[in-house]
Amino acid sequence: MNDLIPLARGLYGIWLREVMRAVRDRGQLIGGVSRPLIWLLILGIGLNPYFRGEVYGEVRFVIPYTYLQFLFPAVIVLNIMYTSILFAVSVIWDREFGFLRAILVSPVPRGLILLGKILGGSTIATAHGGLVLILARFADITLSWSQVGLALLLMFGLSFGLTSFGVILAARVRSFEGFGVFSNTIILPLYFCSSSIFPLDPSLTRAQTAALYPEWLVFLVEINPITYAVDALRGVLINFHQFDPRLGPAVIIGLAVAFFFIAWLDFRRR
Amino acid sequence: MTPHTASGIEIVHLSHAFAGRKVLDDISLSIEEGTSVALLGPNGAGKTTLMNILCALIKPDSGRVMLDGVDLARQPDAIRRRIGAVFQDPSLDTRLTAWENLEFNGLVYGLPRRERARRIDEVLDLVELGDWRDEIVKGFSGGMKRRLEIARALMHQPRILFLDEPTVGLDPQTRARIWSYLEHLRTHRNLTQLITTHYVEEVAGHDRICIIDRGKLLANGTPEELRARHGTSMIRCMPRDAETEAALRAAYPDIRSLAGGRLGVALASPDMLDAFLATYGTRLRQIQIDEPSLETVFLSLTGRELRDRAPGDDTAAGVGEQAI
Repeated sequence: MNDLIPLARGLYGIWLREVMRAVRDRGQLIGGVSRPLIWLLILGIGLNPYFRGEVYGEVRFVIPYTYLQFLFPAVIVLNIMYTSILFAVSVIWDREFGFLRAILVSPVPRGLILLGKILGGSTIATAHGGLVLILARFADITLSWSQVGLALLLMFGLSFGLTSFGVILAARVRSFEGFGVFSNTIILPLYFCSSSIFPLDPSLTRAQTAALYPEWLVFLVEINPITYAVDALRGVLINFHQFDPRLGPAVIIGLAVAFFFIAWLDFRRR
Repeated sequence: MTPHTASGIEIVHLSHAFAGRKVLDDISLSIEEGTSVALLGPNGAGKTTLMNILCALIKPDSGRVMLDGVDLARQPDAIRRRIGAVFQDPSLDTRLTAWENLEFNGLVYGLPRRERARRIDEVLDLVELGDWRDEIVKGFSGGMKRRLEIARALMHQPRILFLDEPTVGLDPQTRARIWSYLEHLRTHRNLTQLITTHYVEEVAGHDRICIIDRGKLLANGTPEELRARHGTSMIRCMPRDAETEAALRAAYPDIRSLAGGRLGVALASPDMLDAFLATYGTRLRQIQIDEPSLETVFLSLTGRELRDRAPGDDTAAGVGEQAI
């Protein structure tokens, strides 16, 4: 027990540093606020009238939600994806500017150093996701406290997995230069292929869906784990599922465990 | 197992290789508690690798290290609590304040809140940065950052302090200040210090000097011992033409080539100087005669000049001096 308290302080210190850094980082904060505003105000409002489930004037299916409501949970996921995956920058910063050495000579075990950093990153990402919840009223979504709590829990799980993924990326990137690319090669493709901005209609059979959308797009959406994270949040926030409701939480937990494990293997090797 | 009672630093037959190249070659060294040892060698001599091994950042290929009576290979965590390290490259978080950097370190070493508060005040006083505690580190000068790093390394009251080139790139005043803090720690806290440097003029104040080059420990002793044992007078000269250079090389087989086309001749006796001057005195563009000093000790042991090994650092220091 006496050994655990100093270790807990170490973990807290590493977590706290990440959070403080994020609070002082104006650029990151501005991104976290402006991104959901742009997506909801411009894309959401712009496409809202066209979201009627009509195809060529013929009503094929009805989604009982407005486009803003449909988009809202996906924007939360988008905000989390940016903050989590770009957390890699913080890891590269520590490595390049020597701070990591100062932590590595301390008595905190490597696994805890990694956990502290990832928990810090997940906290920041969850907070950025939570910022979007403030806009719920505006998207015509009313939330109970239990919905908010459950949503935050899912958001934290997703943040943990994606932050670990960011750390894995950081271990494979040598410099900052490669980083602007990440947003365009990883974050946005994953986001667009997650049924975030268009629905795959659950009431249609597979064959009918394939008639509406090309096979490859449906395939990309279905193998994309982000799809199920978005679906889980839709379930909680607007009570709408396109997939088996159990899939979402399972995928989120699976991502968190798998990516943290890989990140840990990477970190231990160095 | 007989318990090892000696504190201080004990290095036995330490070797390490990177990609097949021997960086440390059978180093053995014993440092008593409360002494300060300067590890003198050019860049690339293996000093930083030795530091990294002593800080438990890398595992050596072979050999044994005991720090403060604890075996590094067996109890790296116990070692980590006993040592403090100041690295050559800055390792502060420049986006945080001085206080926050120290608080972070206090947390990482598991110190309780009250203890952290007390020690932060103490170490900030020591390095005279008390007035800067709530300033963001980004705005600090190089010397202030280095002082803060020393303060940070002392937060957990280590028994042994490692400093890798602590004065590189700093102006003379700051360097003198850093040496005075370290002196204070040695006399008042019995802190063992191992310091790497390639500034030969800074090593004279240490209890012992170890000269290291190409991974080998070439000499180890007090400054006086080294001067007595290895010190020779040296002629450093620049021949006027190629003909003279050829003649010099023929006359003195163990002549050394130095940077900038100069040559170095070790003087075995005063007569030798007279003979040298009589023959070559008019055929030189430049000549300098060095009394036995730590610099000539280094030169005669390694065949190299220290300063010329690190032009980048010299210019950095030069710039700092001009700025004052």
